[in-house]
Amino acid sequence: MRDIILETHGLTKDYGKGRGIFDIDLEVKKGEVFGFIGTNGSGKTTTIRNMMGFIKPDQGSSRVCGMDSWTQSAEIMKQVSYVPGEIAFPSLATGTAFLKSQAEYLGVTDFSYMNHVIELLQLDPTANLKRMSKGMKQKTAIAAALMGEKEVLILDEPTTGLDPLMRDAFLELVREEKKKGHTVFMSSHIFEEIEEVCDRVAMIKDGHIIDIVSLYDLRHPKEKKFIVEFADSQEKDRFIENTSFVISSHDSSSCQINISTTELNSLFGVLKNYQIQYLQEVHLSLQKHFMQIYKEGTQGYERKE
Amino acid sequence: MKEKNRVTRFFSKPLMKQNIRSNYILCIAILIIMVLMSNIINFAMSIMQSATSKVDVSTYQEEFYTYLGSLATYDQMTQGELSYHDFIAKADTSEYDIAFSMLNKQAGTTLSVEGFEEAITGLKQSNISIDTYVKQFEYSYALAQTKGVFDQEELTMSEMLSTTLEIMGVSPDVVKRMGEMDTTAMLNQMYYTVIGLLPIFILVVILANSLIAELVDRGSMAYVLSTPTKRSAVAITQAVFMIIVPFVIISVVCMTRIATSFLFFDEVNVPGILALFAGMYVLVEAVCGICYLGSCLFSQSKKAIGFGGGIATWFFLASLLGMFGSENMVSTGMGIEELSIFNKLTLIGLYDIDSLATVGTGSVDTAFVWKICVLVAVAVICYIAGAARFVKKDLPL
Repeated sequence: MRDIILETHGLTKDYGKGRGIFDIDLEVKKGEVFGFIGTNGSGKTTTIRNMMGFIKPDQGSSRVCGMDSWTQSAEIMKQVSYVPGEIAFPSLATGTAFLKSQAEYLGVTDFSYMNHVIELLQLDPTANLKRMSKGMKQKTAIAAALMGEKEVLILDEPTTGLDPLMRDAFLELVREEKKKGHTVFMSSHIFEEIEEVCDRVAMIKDGHIIDIVSLYDLRHPKEKKFIVEFADSQEKDRFIENTSFVISSHDSSSCQINISTTELNSLFGVLKNYQIQYLQEVHLSLQKHFMQIYKEGTQGYERKE
Repeated sequence: MKEKNRVTRFFSKPLMKQNIRSNYILCIAILIIMVLMSNIINFAMSIMQSATSKVDVSTYQEEFYTYLGSLATYDQMTQGELSYHDFIAKADTSEYDIAFSMLNKQAGTTLSVEGFEEAITGLKQSNISIDTYVKQFEYSYALAQTKGVFDQEELTMSEMLSTTLEIMGVSPDVVKRMGEMDTTAMLNQMYYTVIGLLPIFILVVILANSLIAELVDRGSMAYVLSTPTKRSAVAITQAVFMIIVPFVIISVVCMTRIATSFLFFDEVNVPGILALFAGMYVLVEAVCGICYLGSCLFSQSKKAIGFGGGIATWFFLASLLGMFGSENMVSTGMGIEELSIFNKLTLIGLYDIDSLATVGTGSVDTAFVWKICVLVAVAVICYIAGAARFVKKDLPL
């Protein structure tokens, strides 16, 4: 039971006209880095607000560390750090003043980890809060959230505004958190970063979860796809006629083979007998998978209703 | 590790610090404006009071006129040329000694040069020049010599004046009231129920909005609520801030007012001033409560400021109109009684400065008590309703 840090059951918040979130079921285990991906306005932030206890669900429940998000939000906040999607600091003079004030709220007295984060993100917190660029603000918000060293991190699009170098630095921070055994729930619409650090990913569209995939499964599929290009079309035809492998598609001189990982050796054995020009494994990227599901997804939840 | 992560339930010190840091400039600016205004009005009142200060010269005037009358009679009898101007121009008063002793013998009066001099110095205490008195005497003397052609009745100065004014379309009553006008009461009415309230109303509207609605609207409330701080702690902390700030400001204004009053006036009714400012504080808190409620009800800053600001503006404008219907203004002839209905349409109407000002005097009018109680009730209900709503509502953070 204690293994599940974040869970939602039938979480629904209806804003009318099809907006909102509907029947969200999520479970995030301890120590997991969980990605939450979806287009703009698909309900990522609404889900996170429910988890943080900022809004009251119409139906269903959201629990963090076994406590109800709405009724026990302050208790939950002992364990949770949050980076909001929209960065709007209180009207304080400098980043340092803001970080100090946050430390007071959190009761943090040891700043070593915060300084580590600041260093890693190359943040200059002495700058004027109002004149900070978007990226600077984002870094400040990340530093403010991470300094508490909480068990759970909830990040709403934490990398917006960060340059590619800083994004890498941030992802490094997420990996560090994972190593400490902390649970991370991050939303994003950038596939690469999710793919890089997350263990599992949920996809949301129009307020419905359309798929939850394990990136391990995505990286290590049971069935692999290879594109084989033969010397000429006769070679290809000869191969197609004499093989038992599943050919998903083919054109003039190449074909695509779907194959279970256990059959790999026999495939290479067979291919020895042909003139091969080119062999490529087709990786299914998260983005491709998402696009595929995304198109199908609509029918998926409509059927359920 | 676990002990330091206490949940803040009732009062958040860092939030209070944040409030102070982000609002102190505005608060100090309003405080300075209020202190300046209060004390300049106080100063103006002292000037006005000394200008209209009525050292009672009527007995001197009467005496002076008696002397002038006697001189006139004497001049007629003896074809002499004795007069006030002649009297003060000449160093030698023997001529007058003779005249007065003669008149004394005739009419059995006790006129003397010393008496005349005394009447003159007495009359000089008034702000009106002696020449004016002499001139008035000339008119009334001339009028007294003759009677109305038709009605054979005696003609008097005051009758002539009011007749002339009536012809000019001015009600003699107005003129009479203007003469008796209590400018101090009028200025007090203006200060306590209109002008003095404006800066603090502006402050209250802005503060109430910036403490809750703006934080929610902009999203920076997320940084407070994503820490172990309960919403109740946020609501209570912000309410405490709204209770303390006007208290501090009004206290400072009140203290400087009392201090300058001792400087400007001989007599200061300290309990009276304290009661007036205490009443003002309760009134401001009622408005604070309403603005706080608006700030809690709405998640959009512009709606919250529209609610609080709109109501506060209405109170202010209604009070401004109501002021022209107040007793103090009507009695000076500058008001119209019908406008006093506006005093019933604003909470400021419950701030009864006339009865509050009687605190510390011999006859205390307790009419203010229930009015103050209503204001306190409004404040308490609004604060509680606002806090209850804030704890329960959805926040777009």
